[in-house]
Amino acid sequence: MSAVDWRAVRAVVAKDLTAVRRAKAVVIPMVVVPAILLVILPALVAFGARNASPDISRFLAQLPGDLAAPIRALPAHEQLVVLVNGYLLAPLFLIVPLMVSSVLAADAFAGEKERRTLEGLLHLPIAERDLFLAKLLGAFLPAVAISWLGFLCFAVVSNVVAWPVLHRIFVPTQLWLVMIAWVAPAVAALGLGVMVRVSARARTTQEASQLGGAVILPLIFLAVGQSSGLLLLSVPVAMAVGATVWVIALWLCGRGAVRFTRDRMAPAL
Amino acid sequence: MTSPAIVAERLGRRLGPDFALEGITFDAQPGEVVALLGPNGAGKTTTVRLLNGLLLPGGGRARVLGLDPATEGEALRRRTGVLTENAGLDDRLSALENLVFTGRIRGMASAEATRRAQELLERFGLGDRAERPVQGASTGQRRRIALARALLHDPEVLFLDEPTSGLDPAGTRDVVELIASLARERGRTVLLCTHFLGEAHRLASRVVLLAEGRLRAFGRPEDLARELWPALAVDLDLGGPASAATVELARSCAGVVGVEATATGAQAQVVDRSAVPILVGTLVSREVPVFAAVPRPPTLEDLYFALQTAPAEPGP
Repeated sequence: MSAVDWRAVRAVVAKDLTAVRRAKAVVIPMVVVPAILLVILPALVAFGARNASPDISRFLAQLPGDLAAPIRALPAHEQLVVLVNGYLLAPLFLIVPLMVSSVLAADAFAGEKERRTLEGLLHLPIAERDLFLAKLLGAFLPAVAISWLGFLCFAVVSNVVAWPVLHRIFVPTQLWLVMIAWVAPAVAALGLGVMVRVSARARTTQEASQLGGAVILPLIFLAVGQSSGLLLLSVPVAMAVGATVWVIALWLCGRGAVRFTRDRMAPAL
Repeated sequence: MTSPAIVAERLGRRLGPDFALEGITFDAQPGEVVALLGPNGAGKTTTVRLLNGLLLPGGGRARVLGLDPATEGEALRRRTGVLTENAGLDDRLSALENLVFTGRIRGMASAEATRRAQELLERFGLGDRAERPVQGASTGQRRRIALARALLHDPEVLFLDEPTSGLDPAGTRDVVELIASLARERGRTVLLCTHFLGEAHRLASRVVLLAEGRLRAFGRPEDLARELWPALAVDLDLGGPASAATVELARSCAGVVGVEATATGAQAQVVDRSAVPILVGTLVSREVPVFAAVPRPPTLEDLYFALQTAPAEPGP
């Protein structure tokens, strides 16, 4: 098997990113959603905690088992901000890599068909494997970069705004780091894997997004539900969850790669 | 003898239940322009896709520049340039960015790709809009940008699908001259898919005629015409319909194989041009006034429509 032509891969990634940066319909959700989830929401919670100390003991009592134990151990005025910014927002954070990778993958795969640029691309001297890899990286790398940048903003905003209440840095925790470094990229790859499969059938970005949404939305709810508890679990469990997502994502991408051939795509152009 | 730049032998491929390309056989020599003609859905685009390795053949074989498109597609595509039916430009990128991207994939350094792209865009009169997004460009401008992209790496074989579609007359003339000079002066081989028969007539030395996925004919238009119409038609302007006696007189001339009266005189079928002065001389000597005698060799259009209804060429 020949070596990957990285120059060609870089050219495709750079082209896709340049094109995407100029598409408002793609850029706006990629900026607005992380801004709301990772900046505005934690800032509002932290501001709220500075001005009031609501009693959340009734909410904590409803959490199963020992999940609430680390929160209950905190002073009452710290409980709200630590619960929301330290734990409850974490699963929502996973929406960012999932959404960004899905949007970019739909644009990279189904978008080429919709814009009728795929045939020109297939007539170029780039191996199918390299083109597929470039399309994956063009969606995966920005998804991870935006997630990490978003988390950095989230950590800064949470710690700075909550400083008058906590007088210490409380984000990131060790589990947060596992989420950022391991689970979030896995989730980005999962979104990618789903969209690769879906885009093979869809003729437009919108169609791909709709089909992909049908698959991804339940995954989001599942992730949100599971991750609420995930952050209160141990690091090894979080690692295992991330590994499972990685396996599913890689299987989906692998299946997509097998079908990503000129001979399969050209008749549908 | 040089080996052909393009060879297709009984090339075929089924695409879905409704279309199949079958038994396509033709070749193109280095420096030759071959026109691929046929109505929409005849199989022109499928043929190009097979020859450039986008589709795997279901039957037969192809060689382009000595390479097998099915197994050596990547190496082949480095040496071919394609103008697709749809310009296929990314609207969000500028003309220059579209071209430089292609150059980068083709292994050109960024500076070299930029220089070459600017040169070609200038050549096609697009220098002033090189940096502007393709979105907003007219159909003709898109066509020229896409043609510049196909020529960026100076390919040895060009597959051009409707290169003058959407161009104004001046742009059409420019592109036709460019294609002719690429073949004649640079030795580039061009497979020209077109609906413009005049363009094909002007550029191509041989034509491939397809219909419904089958090969109807391949060869020089003159040879194909001779096969279809062994005789040459000559319009005789006699100032009015020829009388029965005049028709009989014309028929009796050497080299004349048939005569029919027309509104302005007669149309004679002769074996070749040398029969025309004999025919005219005979008529004039019998005091039949001949105002004009114009040979009417069949045009590519005559050939195209006649062959569309001809049976498909049998496979070897």
